[in-house]
Amino acid sequence: MSNILLLEDLPEIRAWLKVLVHQVFPQAQISEAARVHDALELVSAVKFDLALVDLGLPDGSGVDVVAALREQQPEAQSVVVTIHDDDEHLFPALQAGAFGYVLKEQARELIAEQLNRMSQGEPPLSPSIARRVIAYFAAQARPQAKDTIPHVQLTDRENEVLLRVAKGFTLPEIGVQLNLSRHTIADYVKQIYRKLNVSSRAEAALEAQRLGLFGRSR
Amino acid sequence: MNAVALLRLAARLLCAAVLATAWPAVAAPPPTQLITQALSVASNAERFPEGDPSAITVSLPDDWSDSQPRHDGGVWYRVNFNPGPSLDRTDLLALYVPRACSNLDVFLNGRRIHSGGRMADPVARNCHYPQLVSLPGGLVLSQGNVLDLHVRGHALQRVAARERAGGLSELRVGAYDELAALHADTLFWNVTAVQIASLALGMLGIVMTALAWVNRRDAPMGYYGLMAIGWALVSARLWWREVPLDNATVEFLICLSFTPILALAVQFLLSYAGVRSRMIEAALLAQCVVLPMSLLLAGPGRLFGMTGAWYVVLAAETLGAMLLHLHISWRDQRSEFWPMAITLAAAAIALAVEMAVQRGWLALPPAPRMQILLPLILIAFGVRLVVRRASAAAAPDASRFNMDARVREITAEIERNHAQLAELRIEQVTEKERKRIAADLHDDLGAKLLTIVHTSESERISTLAREALEEMRLSVRGLTGRPVRLSDALADWRAETVMRLGQANVEIDWKSLAEDTDQVLPARGFVQTTRILREAVSNIIKHSGASHVKVRCAISGLQFGLNIQDNGKGIPMELDGKLDRGHGMSSMKHRAKQMQGQCLVESGPGYGTVIRLTLPLGPEAPAAPAR
Repeated sequence: MSNILLLEDLPEIRAWLKVLVHQVFPQAQISEAARVHDALELVSAVKFDLALVDLGLPDGSGVDVVAALREQQPEAQSVVVTIHDDDEHLFPALQAGAFGYVLKEQARELIAEQLNRMSQGEPPLSPSIARRVIAYFAAQARPQAKDTIPHVQLTDRENEVLLRVAKGFTLPEIGVQLNLSRHTIADYVKQIYRKLNVSSRAEAALEAQRLGLFGRSR
Repeated sequence: MNAVALLRLAARLLCAAVLATAWPAVAAPPPTQLITQALSVASNAERFPEGDPSAITVSLPDDWSDSQPRHDGGVWYRVNFNPGPSLDRTDLLALYVPRACSNLDVFLNGRRIHSGGRMADPVARNCHYPQLVSLPGGLVLSQGNVLDLHVRGHALQRVAARERAGGLSELRVGAYDELAALHADTLFWNVTAVQIASLALGMLGIVMTALAWVNRRDAPMGYYGLMAIGWALVSARLWWREVPLDNATVEFLICLSFTPILALAVQFLLSYAGVRSRMIEAALLAQCVVLPMSLLLAGPGRLFGMTGAWYVVLAAETLGAMLLHLHISWRDQRSEFWPMAITLAAAAIALAVEMAVQRGWLALPPAPRMQILLPLILIAFGVRLVVRRASAAAAPDASRFNMDARVREITAEIERNHAQLAELRIEQVTEKERKRIAADLHDDLGAKLLTIVHTSESERISTLAREALEEMRLSVRGLTGRPVRLSDALADWRAETVMRLGQANVEIDWKSLAEDTDQVLPARGFVQTTRILREAVSNIIKHSGASHVKVRCAISGLQFGLNIQDNGKGIPMELDGKLDRGHGMSSMKHRAKQMQGQCLVESGPGYGTVIRLTLPLGPEAPAAPAR
């Protein structure tokens, strides 16, 4: 990790997070931003490897920054750092391309561990997020949604993992149940996040096109 | 005018007319002599021209159009009769002449004994009047009585209708009383009935015209009323004897009157069906001019031929209007169709019969049935029209009543909708307010607590702040949350519990429900249970020293049960025998009670702790969120 974006509006928390990130990634260059606007400028100027993005910001939502990163720097990993633990807030960020999320109030060590894991390609996945993902892909697979192009589908294994997470099993437990390594399970989760993003983007593009067509026909 | 009385009269007349049709020949009593042969001479002489070589024997009834074509003027008839054995000379005798057209004088044995009216032009118009002539006893001989009848009439060509063409019917001689009865009967049907019917029709017409005058929009009523009046007036031709105009003029006027009546009939039929055509109106008006002109051009000598032709034209027009009317009413007003169809069919049949008579295809009927039947039909239909209009006039009251009820209904519905809308709006506003409070809590309180968590020097304060933050989040979820599916809740609890115990190196054996369930927990129930479970897990991690935890879930009826058992050292008793308050047992029990549930804690030093949580399920659970 060489370049890290830190988007957080509360100065104390930003300072605290900066310290934490330094501990986890001692070599990294950290760019700080307190507003969406500043963050978007940084995104278009600097190449990042990792971005820690708060959601509720004074001039908008961190989801926009996540989307911009996904668009301009597909290699960069976005991680949502938020006080909101509910999927209502998290799911849009994940759809926009976030690779995982960290709850701000967690203990320093826990956050550090989660960041480490994510940087090694092991994103977290909670039951409620898993249920949302399942519902989302179920809706995509419905006949009337067939015109969504490209049509992204989850593999059976990915579905299996999602179903088990949704039932409350932790990722290590699922690894044991399916007789798979921790690494393989993590790959599945990453794949699920990617597909969620790809499908969501396609859907968004289609929706924009549809709205555009309506706009023109008026 | 009393419509019901009129209707009754009309019904009675109709009955009588039908009866008369069914039994037309009221058998003459046997003693009367029927005379069906006469010596006939065409002559206008004052007396029977004795020894005239042109005298021929004709059979009676004698129709001049057959026996004396184109003859216009007088014809003498001579018949002989003997009183015979059945007739006593002392009886009052009479001669009965059912029809002598247009007028007659009667001579008995050379003496004039009867005159029907003027014999010179304008000749009295007696065609529809039966004549009863009493034979004075002093003049009747026991043998060889001679009756001379001088008939004045008009050629068929010079009249508009066959029944007004010259001719003499068969004769009867007999007892006065019997013949008088016969005469009265025929007189009633030929004249009186027609007069009554015309009178009734005329009065109805006046009433309808007046109604239409009051309500100008009611054009059909006006047309019908005028047509009825017209028809009643034209019926005068059947009973008005001493018209001070010569025959040609009278016949011309009669013909003249039919075009306006037909025009009114057509206009009625069309306007009643809701049709108005300027073209048809103009054509009808033009016809009122063209017909008299054509008659004038043809001259009085070709009147019958011309009227015959016009009759076809007018009948065709009437039929056309009838069919158009029926077609429209079949399409638009099915309820009006059948009464109208029956009326029009009856009228059409009457017209057809009349045409057949005029053409000579049918014999002259003994009584002018059409002159009674048609007015009766017209009266019946007119009364129906008036009654319908009257009920339509009464209808606004009824419809206003209905309208009132409908308005009340709709008002009630609007109020209901309004109330629902208000409720919905309150719900929306409440929902929005909850979201705002939640957002404020996160942004404001959440941010401050977060700052404390990560900046406090004291680990204890950090932990407290973190717990406060979690509490706040749960509260917000309870505030905004929807009911949670029980299986989803169990998944969330499992994931969190397994993770926390795993980090604390405590083994866990969690068995959820055997099957997925669609049961739901109210948001508040979910939040409270989450807190209880979290507290229990915290206790296990912090105080119990347990190495193994067993969690079991069950649904029995409308109860959900959650058991958490550890193999730790148990909760120490306080001096009063109660479990240690420091372990948060009382808050767990309090939360369970809030949900109408129960939280039992069994513990003893050395054999661990069992927490048995029982909650009511289902939408009727009192634990439904108070939001």
